[in-house]
Amino acid sequence: MAEQTTEHHNPHVEVPNEHIGIPGYLGVFAVLVLGTILTYYVALMDLDWIFPGANTLVALGIAFTKMTVVGLFFMHVRWSPRLVWMSAVGAFFWLTIMFAYTMQDYLTRGTGFFGH
Amino acid sequence: METVGAIEAGSYGTAKLNYLNNGSTLKSWLLTKDHKRIAIMYLISVSAFFLMGGLYAAAIRLELLTPASDLFETGTYNKVFTQHGILMVFFFLIPSIPAVLGNFLIPIMIGAKDLALPRINLLSLYIYWVGGAITLWALMQGGVDTGWTFYTPYSTTFSNTYVLAVGVGIFINGFSSILTGVNFLVTIHTMRAPGMTWFRLPLFVWSHYAVSLIFVLGTPVVAITLLLVAIERVAHVGIFDPALGGDPILFQHMFWFYSHPAVYIMVLPGMGIVSELLANFARKRIFGYEFVAFSSIGIAVFGFLVWGHHMFVSGQSMYASLVFSFLTMVVAIPSAIKMFNWTATLYQGSISFDTPMLYGLAFMGLFLIGGFTGLYLGALGLDVHLTDTYFVIGHFHYVMVGGQVIAYLGGLHYWWPKMTGKMYSEFWGRVAAMLIFVGFNLTFFPQLILGYLGMPRRYAAYPPEFQVLNIFSTAGASVLGVGLTMPLFYFLHSLVKGKPAPDNPWLLPGLEWRTSSPPPTENFDTPPVVTWEIYDFGDESGLDLEAAKREAATVNA
Amino acid sequence: MQDSSFVQLFPQQASTFAWQVDALFGYLILVSLVFSVPIILALFYFSIRYREREKYAVPKEIHGSMVLETLWSIIPFFVSMSVFVTGAIVYFNQYTPPDDSMEIYVVGKQWMWKLQHSTGQREINELHVPAGRNIKLTMTTEDVLHSFYIPAFRTKADTVPGRYTYVWFNATTPGKYHLFCAEYCGLNHSGMIGTVYVMDPKDFDNWLSGNAGGETPVQVGKDLFENKLGCASCHAGGPQQRGAKLEGLFNTEVHLVGGGTAVADEDYIRNSILNPASQVVEGYQPIMPTFKGQVSEEQLNGLVAYIKSLSPNAAAAPAAPAAKKPDEKAPAGKKADGKEPAAK
Repeated sequence: MAEQTTEHHNPHVEVPNEHIGIPGYLGVFAVLVLGTILTYYVALMDLDWIFPGANTLVALGIAFTKMTVVGLFFMHVRWSPRLVWMSAVGAFFWLTIMFAYTMQDYLTRGTGFFGH
Repeated sequence: METVGAIEAGSYGTAKLNYLNNGSTLKSWLLTKDHKRIAIMYLISVSAFFLMGGLYAAAIRLELLTPASDLFETGTYNKVFTQHGILMVFFFLIPSIPAVLGNFLIPIMIGAKDLALPRINLLSLYIYWVGGAITLWALMQGGVDTGWTFYTPYSTTFSNTYVLAVGVGIFINGFSSILTGVNFLVTIHTMRAPGMTWFRLPLFVWSHYAVSLIFVLGTPVVAITLLLVAIERVAHVGIFDPALGGDPILFQHMFWFYSHPAVYIMVLPGMGIVSELLANFARKRIFGYEFVAFSSIGIAVFGFLVWGHHMFVSGQSMYASLVFSFLTMVVAIPSAIKMFNWTATLYQGSISFDTPMLYGLAFMGLFLIGGFTGLYLGALGLDVHLTDTYFVIGHFHYVMVGGQVIAYLGGLHYWWPKMTGKMYSEFWGRVAAMLIFVGFNLTFFPQLILGYLGMPRRYAAYPPEFQVLNIFSTAGASVLGVGLTMPLFYFLHSLVKGKPAPDNPWLLPGLEWRTSSPPPTENFDTPPVVTWEIYDFGDESGLDLEAAKREAATVNA
Repeated sequence: MQDSSFVQLFPQQASTFAWQVDALFGYLILVSLVFSVPIILALFYFSIRYREREKYAVPKEIHGSMVLETLWSIIPFFVSMSVFVTGAIVYFNQYTPPDDSMEIYVVGKQWMWKLQHSTGQREINELHVPAGRNIKLTMTTEDVLHSFYIPAFRTKADTVPGRYTYVWFNATTPGKYHLFCAEYCGLNHSGMIGTVYVMDPKDFDNWLSGNAGGETPVQVGKDLFENKLGCASCHAGGPQQRGAKLEGLFNTEVHLVGGGTAVADEDYIRNSILNPASQVVEGYQPIMPTFKGQVSEEQLNGLVAYIKSLSPNAAAAPAAPAAKKPDEKAPAGKKADGKEPAAK
């Protein structure tokens, strides 16, 4: 079933993929540069008044946005068949697994669980 | 069907143009896009690395013959075991089955002309060569002494060996794995011949599908981890070294996130080969095909959730250890399912004991021990005593050598006639298989006992009371060494003097046996259409059993 | 102890939980045999019974059996769960030091073990302990990872730079036992070995008095705290003090600036000395300078021991063992720990 989708979309992908054209790509590039500048300035601010570690979260949020934009437009996931979408989402899911299971160590260290 | 019907046992295809004699210049090899030629070049490279790794292993066993560190300085010994590990894991175990046998057979087994991305396939070989060359260069410059695990902060701050160069070599080599994985996934999804449904795929292909998932999802992480080690080493950015504000245990999390699944990269293709061997040499459909197929996928997925079991005593929180131990126990189930199904496959079969089957049966025995000792190490309280001892060494050699290498050799013998068009000496093949089995057990079983006694790993010198068992182990290693060298000779001999191989020496139904030996560059003269079920040894699969039996009778008479 | 005259196949049992590890080992051997013996027997039986009798025979096709698949998924699952649970229980015992443990500080260093008793005695690559008493090791390292491993006690833990890890045991049998470094640590890793001497409590007391060595960790810490580092100028002196109150602090929950709480354990104290700004307690200004680079691991151990001693109730009661021997002319540290801070 999945591969039928692939075949169905194949001719579409073959077409030179100026999906958003040069201006579109420049727009994406601008978003990335803006994100970088934003990351720099946020790093200089102390956001701990929101909650501890807010800086990290904001930086990660910006990074995630940039990553999504690159994936969707530069890497053409936006116009790709469902199998490619699944692979892209699957990869992020795997990244989440790594973070989650690593954090279950860090967040439970020294909490007094089992004596120390 | 009839179009793919060149399957009488007696037919020979060597007169035709095949992938081997289709161009003989160096350029025709180096710039080939033929998956079979690339596989042969991988075979040669991987064997060279195996030989080097084996020499290091011999050096280790010689040093451990006596308690004192007398053959080498301790520093040299540290480099020897590190380089043994690095060469074997990253340059032999991980690429061997997928890049050699997988590369050669997956397109043929699914009835395709080539992999989906032939240029990428060639690129992955070159990347492997570049990564290997950098690593070898670093070894010649003076080597590395961090252990193949590169634990921080030793690797980032304290070791003054060629950590950076070796790290770069492995980093580059990782891309070879990723490209191979992507290539297999795309190929299996899009290139299957008409009629080759998912549940008609040989289990060898299923296991490579699972392995490719791990390649793609896991390898980038180890690449990034080594990059971070390099950044910390060069630029002193605090990531892993607490003196710089990092956390050394973070390295272990990231490293094992890849390196535990990497163990499954090594053993899953082996399981695929063994499934083929047991089914084909018992001439029976594999028992519970779907369960064996999905247990491979299950291992690939759950294998990503258990890495923390390498870290029970590392300072990881006890809660995390509990979770990882639990998941480790769960991941044992798919392996158990495979074991039971393989055994059941033999029931009411018609079993012949050619060399490949001997390896298949040896795998069963050795993987039983390898798998069960894994359970010992996954049990929290026992792991505290056993981790970082020779028990771990014994365990993973039972899995890596007893599992992967044995299966690889079995597969190599099984498909050697197909790959080269020549038959090897069955007699010497069986002798070597027996020697390897005996030598292997003699080498590594004493190490399990040594581990429970408490002998730590990576020791150049050890207390004298451990000597007797170490002597057994070294004696076994020499038998194993002889056994492993033998195939090199009779394989090479078969190339020159071997009998020409029939297209289908054992009269088996797989697609790879329905083309000539060696196959033509296009794999099949006419694109195959699959109308039979997988592992169907009867008439429905188009095998001319009667003719074969008549011929066998005349040969005997 | 170790006897090189014959092939030893099983390690000595010399701690209270060693038998549990061995029992678990025995259970796993049993499980392995129960599963593998039938498989091996079946392999042999099938290999003989169903060997090839006619070339290219076509055996009956068997696709599988749902009942069998279910059985051999469920049964191994329950067996492996039993292994998990028993393993976890043993693990819990191995890593939960009893409250009345006698404390010893351990610092790993390429390539030696430096140990210090709470009574002040220092040892290198040797550890003398009394039999029959709970002993807790608080461990860290000056450089790379090491792992403190005593096979006869069936316990082991990595020492990690920048934080503390713990091992405890209660040795049952007097004798000499191996101490190994089990985590690869560089050039002379295999030389980072030592000996644990488990002694009769009486012999241990003699050994202690014969080796009256140096200041206790608490005294070292007190000296650093009051004189050398000047911690006392902020952290002592009543209500107007600028630094957080340390009396009764150990093992309590503290509220941090910016929300969140932390348990003031050894790692917390250590971190507060080295990276004060990272965990500022609510109600205080982040004015404390870092002491990174100014204190060695052993001095840090002293400071931690001293601050622990300011909380006589929360800390394990390390005073107990020392107090039991009034007959000895007490080396300086004898009545250490829990008592002195009260005078402050």
